[in-house]
Amino acid sequence: MSPRDWHYWLDMTSNRPSGFANPWLQLALSVLCVLASELLLKRGATEVADPNSALSWTGINGLTSSLVWWAILLVIVSFASWLYVLKYIPLTVAFPLSRVVDVLVPISCWLLLGEIISVRRWCGIALVIAGLALVAKPVAELEEKL
Amino acid sequence: MTLLALVLILLALVTFVAGQIFLKHAMESTTQTDFQKSSVAVRLGAGILLMTISFFITLGLLQRFDLSYLYPFQGLSVLIISLIAALVLKEKLSWQLMIGALLITAGVVLVSMS
Repeated sequence: MSPRDWHYWLDMTSNRPSGFANPWLQLALSVLCVLASELLLKRGATEVADPNSALSWTGINGLTSSLVWWAILLVIVSFASWLYVLKYIPLTVAFPLSRVVDVLVPISCWLLLGEIISVRRWCGIALVIAGLALVAKPVAELEEKL
Repeated sequence: MTLLALVLILLALVTFVAGQIFLKHAMESTTQTDFQKSSVAVRLGAGILLMTISFFITLGLLQRFDLSYLYPFQGLSVLIISLIAALVLKEKLSWQLMIGALLITAGVVLVSMS
């Protein structure tokens, strides 16, 4: 890293609240809430699926599942913590990192819902992880130094 | 794919990106000591409105196309948001961040194609 880069990252990692208010922690919370909500939505939608009803195309019958309501609650929590993240972390860093859900969702579907992942999909997951590592590296290096 | 579908896909993407930029701009200005509450509220409102428009356009598209067909376009949002944030919000965009965003986009496209 050049000195100019270093100052940029230092500013981003040191001028921020610590503990639960740490924006990096909030970013993780936001991502985990999105992940859990996706899984709950899938479970909830399957639970009350009624393919013979025309109304079911609007998804409105999903609201009869309590799992769907938990998912809605999690979406609201994730949006609130995302807004907080935006206060402190640049979009060029925060948004790419938030796409870790594109890796976590298929892996959780595989582990928890018993869905199958093809070879090509595993390759895509590997590419996303490589991209995330590149985006996260400067931040991780600096957190270590602090 | 019809021209209308292409226009709607692009519109969903543009409104999503613009929404994120507005939200970021609003939240960032709250860290300044002398920020104006009204201008933050207007930007937050604009951001939420744009995200809502994007959401409903996507919902309409999902009724006509497979998610696996639409998802790669959402993957593009990573790349576009990084570029627009650098241009409009004057955020620093290193080559490392750029390649990272490219890899994530390529990965998302590959995941949704299989």
